[in-house]
Amino acid sequence: MTAQGLNLGLEARELRSQAVDLALADAGLERDAIDGYIRCFVDREDLRYMGLSPNFSVSMMTGGATPVFSLLTAIGMIQSGQAEMVACVYGEAHSARAARGVQPIGAYGYGYPMLYGLMGAAATHAFHARRHMHLYGTTSRHLGAVAVTQRDYAVKRPGTLGYGKPITLDEHQASPMIADPFRRLDCTRDTDGGVAVLVTSAERARQLHAKPIYLLGGGTGHNIANWHKGVPFDNHDNIEPAKRRAFAQAGMTIADIDMAQLYDPFTISPLMQLEAYGVIAAGQGGAFYADGGAGPEGKMPTNTGGGQLSAYYTTGFTGIIEAIIQLRGDAGEGQLKKAGTALVSGHGMNAGVQNTWAHASLILGSEQ
Amino acid sequence: MTTETDNKHLDTILKVGGDPADLPFWNACEDELFLIHQCQRCKRGYWPASRCVDHGNEAMEWVAASGKATLHTYTIIHRTHLASMKDKVPFVVGVVELDEGPFFHTNIVDCSHSMLELGMPLQVKMARHENGLMLPMFMPAN
Ligand SMILES: [Zn+2]
Repeated sequence: MTAQGLNLGLEARELRSQAVDLALADAGLERDAIDGYIRCFVDREDLRYMGLSPNFSVSMMTGGATPVFSLLTAIGMIQSGQAEMVACVYGEAHSARAARGVQPIGAYGYGYPMLYGLMGAAATHAFHARRHMHLYGTTSRHLGAVAVTQRDYAVKRPGTLGYGKPITLDEHQASPMIADPFRRLDCTRDTDGGVAVLVTSAERARQLHAKPIYLLGGGTGHNIANWHKGVPFDNHDNIEPAKRRAFAQAGMTIADIDMAQLYDPFTISPLMQLEAYGVIAAGQGGAFYADGGAGPEGKMPTNTGGGQLSAYYTTGFTGIIEAIIQLRGDAGEGQLKKAGTALVSGHGMNAGVQNTWAHASLILGSEQ
Repeated sequence: MTTETDNKHLDTILKVGGDPADLPFWNACEDELFLIHQCQRCKRGYWPASRCVDHGNEAMEWVAASGKATLHTYTIIHRTHLASMKDKVPFVVGVVELDEGPFFHTNIVDCSHSMLELGMPLQVKMARHENGLMLPMFMPAN
């Protein structure tokens, strides 16, 4: 992973290139070892610029679930004999794009609802938050507890946006309203950064320099099923089938998981996902956060590097990277005492009126 | 309905990333008619235009709906990048559940924000948008 943050002054492709270089160095591999390449989102000139020559290169787009999907796809390419070493690569330079005045506002519309002023993910995720408040009595202070919990993690993690910058619940409550019930501190912001994760067979991984992290299970679920059932706003994605498949593959239950790294564009997101994954019952998310359940000493430490809300926004790689850091024991002052297994989720893609699109679950372990 | 109006509406719909398949709906709004797309075999209602999940496209028709709904969820927009909406903040974007079943994204109007409550009964109110389109909005029922 490269540096992450605001105004890094590097172009997106340069960030991806640096991320690949860092991953190769971490694994102790030469450039020609990469025989598969998955660019999360869109690429054209990456391979030539990086001096790579894989058997294939795929551009993948399923929103914030893309990074988890890229790892699942890499497994398939390896198992079908297409590659031995697949690089799953991300790099975006939002500040460079903004500096050039390129504002892709159209991408934040959800179709005809834009006629009514609906634009941006805050508004659509606010629909979930409002439903949750109505159904379960969740409050803005509960959402604030999510923001504070994650910031507390980031405060201790160098290289994050929140490093050394604590926030309080009162500051959350005083931050300006954006899309009610979301305040400024309920929302993430785009950052610059690059990430490359190398996926290979367990045998090959054990021969490499870096400590391998094992992919134990994966699953996917699509929110269109919730749309057809009339419950897209009561659910934060269609997690049930993703969870079922991932845990079956891993031969585990939620009780076997030491930490959760859940996709968090807004505070409501990890709260609702902890419920959907069965860490707590439906409706208990607010109280769980308020009682420290997602903190380092809680029942399920969640988004332990600060998450996208307080660390950096790599559109779904944030959770994968944090799981790898914790499972390798590299989290420094923020290292969890028990860090053998991790649940990671990806979520996203603007899906128009049905709100969001994809969900992907991953179970990672420090042992096979 | 003139072709000229059709084309004007189509442009407006495409500009916001809407679906040309919904053009009959937007055209009917000009006559203050609120339509839904309905499967004539099972009477399940759809919006936006869809194939029936059970019966495909064989019996889908645009039919007049009651214009009655309940509030399913909403947000109050305080900050917007949409130039046309900047002077309207704070405004309410809601998802209403039409009595015929489907969801509809809309503005909730003629209702103070403190009175908004999920499940409250609503009725359609047509209002001319500055882009020329007649837009169905929803207000508290009676
Ligand atoms: Zn039907």
